[in-house]
Amino acid sequence: MSLKNCYNFKDFRNLAKKKLPSPIFHYIDGGSDDEATLRRNTESFNECDLVPNVLANVGKPDLTTTLFGRKIDMPIFLSPAAMQRLYHVDGDKASARAAEKFGTFYSMSSMSNNSIEEISNISSGPKLFQLYVHKDKSITDDLIDRSRRSGFDAMCLTVDTLVAGNREKDHRTGFTTPPKLTLKSVMSFAMRPGWVFNYLTGKKFELSNVKKKTDKGTNIAKSVIEYINEQYDPLMGWKDAEYCAKKWNGPFALKGVMSVEDAKKAIDIGCTAIMISNHGGRQLDGSRSPFDQVKAISDAVGDKLEIILDGGVRRGTHVLKALASGAKACSFGKMFLFSLAAGGQQGVEHLLKNMHDEIYRNMVLMGCKSLKELNSSKLIYRK
Amino acid sequence: MNLKDCHNFSDFRKLAKKKLPSPIFHYIDGAADDEITYARNTSAFDDVDLVPNVLRGVEEVDLSTTIFGKKLDLPFYLSPTALQRLFHYDGERAVGKAAKKFNTMFGVSALATVSVEEISSMVDTPKMFQFYFHKDRGLNDSCLERAKAAKFDVMALTVDTITGGNRERDLRTGFTSPPKLTLASLFSFATKPMWGINYLTKGKFELPHLQDFVKEGTDVNSSIGNYFSTMLDQSMNWKDAENLCSKWGGHFALKGVMSVEDAKRAVDIGCTGIMVSNHGGRQLDGSRAPFDQLAEIVDAVGDKLDVICEGGIHRGTHMLKALSLGAKACSGGRLYLYALAAAGQAGVERALEKYRTELERDMKLMGCTKISDLSRNNLRFRR
Repeated sequence: MSLKNCYNFKDFRNLAKKKLPSPIFHYIDGGSDDEATLRRNTESFNECDLVPNVLANVGKPDLTTTLFGRKIDMPIFLSPAAMQRLYHVDGDKASARAAEKFGTFYSMSSMSNNSIEEISNISSGPKLFQLYVHKDKSITDDLIDRSRRSGFDAMCLTVDTLVAGNREKDHRTGFTTPPKLTLKSVMSFAMRPGWVFNYLTGKKFELSNVKKKTDKGTNIAKSVIEYINEQYDPLMGWKDAEYCAKKWNGPFALKGVMSVEDAKKAIDIGCTAIMISNHGGRQLDGSRSPFDQVKAISDAVGDKLEIILDGGVRRGTHVLKALASGAKACSFGKMFLFSLAAGGQQGVEHLLKNMHDEIYRNMVLMGCKSLKELNSSKLIYRK
Repeated sequence: MNLKDCHNFSDFRKLAKKKLPSPIFHYIDGAADDEITYARNTSAFDDVDLVPNVLRGVEEVDLSTTIFGKKLDLPFYLSPTALQRLFHYDGERAVGKAAKKFNTMFGVSALATVSVEEISSMVDTPKMFQFYFHKDRGLNDSCLERAKAAKFDVMALTVDTITGGNRERDLRTGFTSPPKLTLASLFSFATKPMWGINYLTKGKFELPHLQDFVKEGTDVNSSIGNYFSTMLDQSMNWKDAENLCSKWGGHFALKGVMSVEDAKRAVDIGCTGIMVSNHGGRQLDGSRAPFDQLAEIVDAVGDKLDVICEGGIHRGTHMLKALSLGAKACSGGRLYLYALAAAGQAGVERALEKYRTELERDMKLMGCTKISDLSRNNLRFRR
């Protein structure tokens, strides 16, 4: 199996599984508890149906839209994801370059293995910085200042990780960062010599954006869960979010909003967007899926905020359904991380090409010339 | 397993799988993307239940119905499908003769492997010609004229193939027409020697309606998806359909209408029927199932043209449910294609006999003696 045989999510996932040591694969692949929310995130798209219009003389549909004040070539982008260096030796550089090539947003996690400055030097494409509010406020301030200086277009504050989710796969595999060889996992690492070679010979693993401020996550073997619980401020409240939005003073989103009430509050504190997300089913299992919730939120605040649907998107038709329900764009993490693991920059490009072609083809089949034509009349929910 | 062990749809499918080289089997069996719509087309019938009436005196059941001005002995017919000689060396000859025996309509595709003239000399019962709107207007005119001269009763314009669907099984098996032996598929062809011998000895594989105009599909390795995307005119619009309809001057149907709005426009341009269809789930995955959409369409236009429910039908009871909702008739492709592959004309006849027997039995169990006895009073939708 190689990249050219990758037609869909499952294919990229299979290839990633082949390439990655199993604790690392399962860190991407897993959700919390019983993974009911993780599954629902995708399944929820299957309870409503698209209704195409025929003979619509569609020609070449226009897939462009604007998001965070920038024009993008298609209504999808890469969600922020931590520690991409674990998945491919090129890490964030690969995803940033691929996203730029396809004219859409790359997002950088606070926990990236590349620095804000490093990525800004290699990509002039649209860039979103993802912020965690750390207990040490100077870390938060520093990240905001540097993102601005480096020309990032937008910022999102993650609000669904006050405490880490119960990711049982990580307990079982002993996933730590940097990965620690345990007896259990040693076989899995040994069977992927390519990954190990690249990992050991590539740039040192570090959390580049926070390394000056904390040695956590760099010097000691630490699970992501412990990192979240130690470093992030569980007392974060609306005031803190407002502080970040004001300090950033540009396009600003909350990532992880799920209730209509919180979506309205997001407007009040000066957000320009929200990412409806349950962190890819990795935090509160049993919580509602973004697609199940997007219509209610869009009906309430769709005219005042840009709504991004994050989670469960695997297909072009999922994107069409999300847009028809009121989302401005969709983002995804797992899917592109698998493609990154499968083939680095080339892998992510292959995925973005597939998704572009699917959205394009399905727009033609729907009889839609532009994304604006995707509205609730194109979608029917089953009884 | 042989023909006499085939009692239902899935038996015919199994036998077809045994007889056909796998790329060809999967071409029939597969659908677009994740095949969600393909599965829904059938499972939609399970969300509604039949409510029988007893003590009605049902010894004689009349299954006849009149569509497109023709009286058929059965309330269903055989949808036009392409490339039938790939499935059995008799192809359309087998299907046409079987349909004639049961006095129901059968459809001949523009991509048929037997000419309209030959079909017409063989089959004097009702016939539908299925038309694709090609970029080449000379080809379009020729199809129309030949079908008219051959005294076809109905013209059906396919409107849901404005671009090719994403049929991933075909991408993996390397399905092309005529089939190309690749290393991957060689084994499968080699293990089905009868198919190979028949294919090579029972007459050249041709597309008689196209061959004077195009090379694609005859001697180029072209997938059906490619054919849709490169040969058909993507600018086809309502005006073109209206022109074709008046040029034909007889019974005219649009195949692949799914929205109420489009159904109404079909009335306006002079159609006498529509086939509510998503192309057997082979085009836009995530689109609505014909049965799910049927009631709305019947309510809007059922008194102005013949509404046909096409797709997902595996059982007599599925047909009873569609007819109860107000469809004038049902149709299907896989409904008879597996049977064709399984045993040629004898296979299709056995399938038709099975469906006829099921319909008769189910009508009696419902307490109905004629199709017009069926109404929505017989149905209860689950919540």
